[in-house]
Amino acid sequence: MNIFLKDNKKNQIYHWEFLISDINETKSFNPYCYTDDYYAVFKQIIVSLLINEKIVLLDADFSPTEVAHLTGVSELGAFTKPLIENQLQKIQNLDDLIQKLNGSHPQWAITLFTSGTTGIPKKVSHDFSSITRHVKKSSRQKNCTWGFAYHPTHMAGLQVFLQALLNGNTIIRLFGLDTQDICEEIKTCHITHISATPTFYKLLIAIGGQYSSVIRVSSGGEKQNPKLFEDIQSLFPNAKITNIYASTEVGALFASENDIFSVKAAFVDQVKFVENELWVHHSLMGETENNSDEWYPSGDMVEIISNDPIQFRFVNRKNEMINVGGYKVNPHEVEEAIMNIEGISQVRVFAKSNSVLGNIVCCEVMVTRQNITEADIREYLQSKIQEFKIPRIISFVDAISTTRTGKLIRS
Amino acid sequence: MNPLIEINMLESILEIVNTVRQNRGKEKLVAIHNETHLKNDIGFDSLDLAELTVRIEAKYNIDIFENKIVNTIGEIIEILEEGK
Repeated sequence: MNIFLKDNKKNQIYHWEFLISDINETKSFNPYCYTDDYYAVFKQIIVSLLINEKIVLLDADFSPTEVAHLTGVSELGAFTKPLIENQLQKIQNLDDLIQKLNGSHPQWAITLFTSGTTGIPKKVSHDFSSITRHVKKSSRQKNCTWGFAYHPTHMAGLQVFLQALLNGNTIIRLFGLDTQDICEEIKTCHITHISATPTFYKLLIAIGGQYSSVIRVSSGGEKQNPKLFEDIQSLFPNAKITNIYASTEVGALFASENDIFSVKAAFVDQVKFVENELWVHHSLMGETENNSDEWYPSGDMVEIISNDPIQFRFVNRKNEMINVGGYKVNPHEVEEAIMNIEGISQVRVFAKSNSVLGNIVCCEVMVTRQNITEADIREYLQSKIQEFKIPRIISFVDAISTTRTGKLIRS
Repeated sequence: MNPLIEINMLESILEIVNTVRQNRGKEKLVAIHNETHLKNDIGFDSLDLAELTVRIEAKYNIDIFENKIVNTIGEIIEILEEGK
């Protein structure tokens, strides 16, 4: 296929020729990428690689206040600068593009934001070698067609994008489409590779059917159960299924064909387990604002299955992040935002399990001002935090539920 | 199904649908019918659908998305009727 990207949500097909001439005509570059257009995000990343300049990915649904807070600048447009002559060498054809992209990028770095554990999203930067650590390049990868089932500005999406791009593969957008349309795209575009969250596969399983073109399926991001593996296999009878452990801080680290993981020989000295929590050595990590410590506690709790060689299974998260369809919501951040509303004296944000998204965010509030309404709270939060973080169920209570030690109960 | 029960159910689902819509700053719908599509006609995304299931479950004690994907109002009523 001669297609670079098919974005059915926008009714657009972008051929490689179009991308190449678009790159060749590029006259300026902005290091901040803040758009929900897949093609625009991808092109901006490609240009940053070709001119060897740093790039910062911002989720399109961050509010302007959040963006200003995260980046420290309020007018991103002001950072657009014209390219100097020969900064962007003319691309001859697809092979030339792939060759240049696979070259060295010493100055290049990409910055993303995690959902964070202490209030605001955390900034993480990766250089080319750490972000492409798990990218496979070989003649076998040449004719793959990737189903793109992630947000383009998130770590997992970036990994899939680079895997496809560096092999010149076609990308078919699946994220954000209706489930019926996703099924159509997999079939009509003969998608061969899909990486997605368990939630994504659950939606497909609910509709049923079989997709014989798919030969590789990977999943990660949420805890998996063996039944889900079976169901995924029956959807994709010809596929090899891989379960991937990855995070924004570390990138992709472990892969397994079931829910039991082992440590590759190359990383054996760079991971350890402290009281059943996975710790990662800083040499494997992207650069964060405060990663001066040698070891990083991942917050992921494991069950050790054997010690020599070490094998383990992920059990749960140590912290209290709420997983809403693969998006992580920090209850502390939401509570902090709600507490800023005048007339609210106490709040508890918690998860309620949900058949559609895994969990949804709920909250209880105590008020000192009687005329405050659910609509007031929502309206305020809409300008402060991302939509998926806003509690969907808000109850007004006389007392907040706490544990015996006075901690808020999370579920 | 008894037509009166169905009308009652439609009204109470409409009320729930409107709560979800208003929570997202959208205006109230005047009417829904069995063929009304949750995504195409009402404009619900997955967050809205998640909220809808919770609100319906709170009222009818049935998780409408537990076993399958639901696309229309009629399918919701069917599940609620089966679950009675």
